[in-house]
Amino acid sequence: MSRPARIICVGNRLLPGDDLGPRVHDLLAGSALPDGVELVDGGLYGLDLLRSVEGAGRAVFVDAVAGFAPPGEVVALGRDEVSALAHGAWGHDAGLPHLFHLLPRVCDGELPEILLIGAEHPADVAQVAARALAEASRP
Amino acid sequence: MAVRKMLDIPVNRVEGDLELRLEVADGVVVDAWSTGTMFRGFERLLVGRGALDGLVVTPRICGICSTTHLMAAAKALDAVTGAVVPDNGVRLRNLALMVEHVQSDVRHGILMFLADYANPAYAHLPLHDEAVRRYAPLAGEAVVEAVRETKRIIEIIAMIGGQWPHSSFMVPGGLSYGPQVTELLQCRHVLDAYRAWYERRILGCSIERWMAVDSLAALDAWLEEAQAHRDSDVGFLLRFGRAAGLDKLGGGHGTFLSSGSLDLPAETAARGTGGHLIPAGFARGIAVEAFDPAAISEHVAASWYAGQDGGRHPSEGETEPYASGEEGRRYSWVKAARYRGGPAETGPLAERVVAGDPLFTDLLARQGANALARELARLTRPATLLPTMAVWLSEVVASGGRDVYVNPGPVTDGEGCGMIQAARGSLGHWVTVRQGRIERYQIITPTGWNGSPRDSGGVRGPWEEALIGTPVADADNPVEVGHVIRSFDPCLVCSVHTVRKGRTMGRARLEA
Repeated sequence: MSRPARIICVGNRLLPGDDLGPRVHDLLAGSALPDGVELVDGGLYGLDLLRSVEGAGRAVFVDAVAGFAPPGEVVALGRDEVSALAHGAWGHDAGLPHLFHLLPRVCDGELPEILLIGAEHPADVAQVAARALAEASRP
Repeated sequence: MAVRKMLDIPVNRVEGDLELRLEVADGVVVDAWSTGTMFRGFERLLVGRGALDGLVVTPRICGICSTTHLMAAAKALDAVTGAVVPDNGVRLRNLALMVEHVQSDVRHGILMFLADYANPAYAHLPLHDEAVRRYAPLAGEAVVEAVRETKRIIEIIAMIGGQWPHSSFMVPGGLSYGPQVTELLQCRHVLDAYRAWYERRILGCSIERWMAVDSLAALDAWLEEAQAHRDSDVGFLLRFGRAAGLDKLGGGHGTFLSSGSLDLPAETAARGTGGHLIPAGFARGIAVEAFDPAAISEHVAASWYAGQDGGRHPSEGETEPYASGEEGRRYSWVKAARYRGGPAETGPLAERVVAGDPLFTDLLARQGANALARELARLTRPATLLPTMAVWLSEVVASGGRDVYVNPGPVTDGEGCGMIQAARGSLGHWVTVRQGRIERYQIITPTGWNGSPRDSGGVRGPWEEALIGTPVADADNPVEVGHVIRSFDPCLVCSVHTVRKGRTMGRARLEA
């Protein structure tokens, strides 16, 4: 059986502006997902999402972003683009850039294709969810 | 004439949820103000919600200590309902919490504290090249290894709680899920592997050998004894830390608090004090007194909250934001937690002092509190937890994993308090339930103790005080300040992680 694509939604559902990932998660959790696509509520976590990445063929992260495009516009960022934003020591505030940066050296098994789908607040949740699903379902 | 200047330092990369204002005279910190710049407001968010909602909402306070908040919330509701948690429920709750501790302690040590050893400020030290090789952010050998080795331990929480992440498996009366014996055996496998790695790389010796280190002289002898000890992360922490003078930095008030943690099951081979594996107590220097939760108060004289003069017990506390316009007098969103009216530091060092640990009692008596002792206590705390984790796991397996829950009935009106030791120190949740809803919820986090601002009497918080006397050789790279603050492991906002393009520059910041 081929490795699944995982949509990993991160963010804080209690904080408007950082709740895009959880809202996409809730929308997709109520839908029938295509075969081979799995959904993870990654919540507040960063490095602790490693085990959710391992074993996937593709990991599509969904998170609020800032500064990449006008608010609401859906952006797709590759692993290199996000990991380039990691700098300094890991801290409590370290997020996806640290995870993406370290992944090649700490991921057991084959490194999945990594992608971040995001949008700056306010964003259309359905539009972001559709893009994430399209990326995850891509052959 | 002394050269005096003010220095404003954001402590994390994202433009600041914790900022320090330091007054520096002749290159030494002479006064300090610690500002929590972000209003969290979880207490207000919970008012009016269902009685059980703290179990789901409070784990979202922290992306590192979510199990810790779940435990405090569950224990507060245990107290409201009068629930008596059966032994296996106690053991499994404890195990999940201890997993969070042993992961956090190692990650803090390697990825945050030791990262500062790779700071260019130490390029003149003979050990600096090795420090860079081992601990350089995002690249050091030990960094990569620590991330690899600490990722699997959380599987234990997933197996105990039936879910990861965002498990809310602790409920009043015990656990909502009873793991199968096969899952518990997997937990054992993961735990054994973690312990083997911790002994090999972090300690460089067996836990039994480390626990025999009972004085400063014995610590020196341990370093001399074997190359493996010197090469371990604990060994390097000590060797470099002494060369850089970290054992002379970050003294503080010399008062220590542990609220006690990890309840002992009624029947267990594990040994503790006063019903806890981690004893409760308050210490002035090394003189330990009994802990009285009624002696806790919160002051808001220097915090942006409306309220009373003097302190108020958290069961009567309010969290009413108040932008006062009194610029200067109020300077933080963190309240000032006090014990018997005075400040107290909390965390792994406080736990060891309160427990009467011979090594840390001797270190304190000879050197006083310092940044190196604080981090040593943190990086070696897993040695005090891992053996008991194995004991409790075996006891659960031997009893077939049954009886993890006793139904306490519906949540009745009442008040309850859940106090435990989080990875960073004392954590308390105080809840009042009326007509099935939360009427009041107050939380004091470890950073509410360690990172508190001044109280009604104008007395500095613990890390404000610990900063006094800290040299600042280079105002643009105040690495010494970083050691002192990081030795307390400040709880910064780890619950907002927006990926942001670019970053602001311009002020001195604490990073390698």
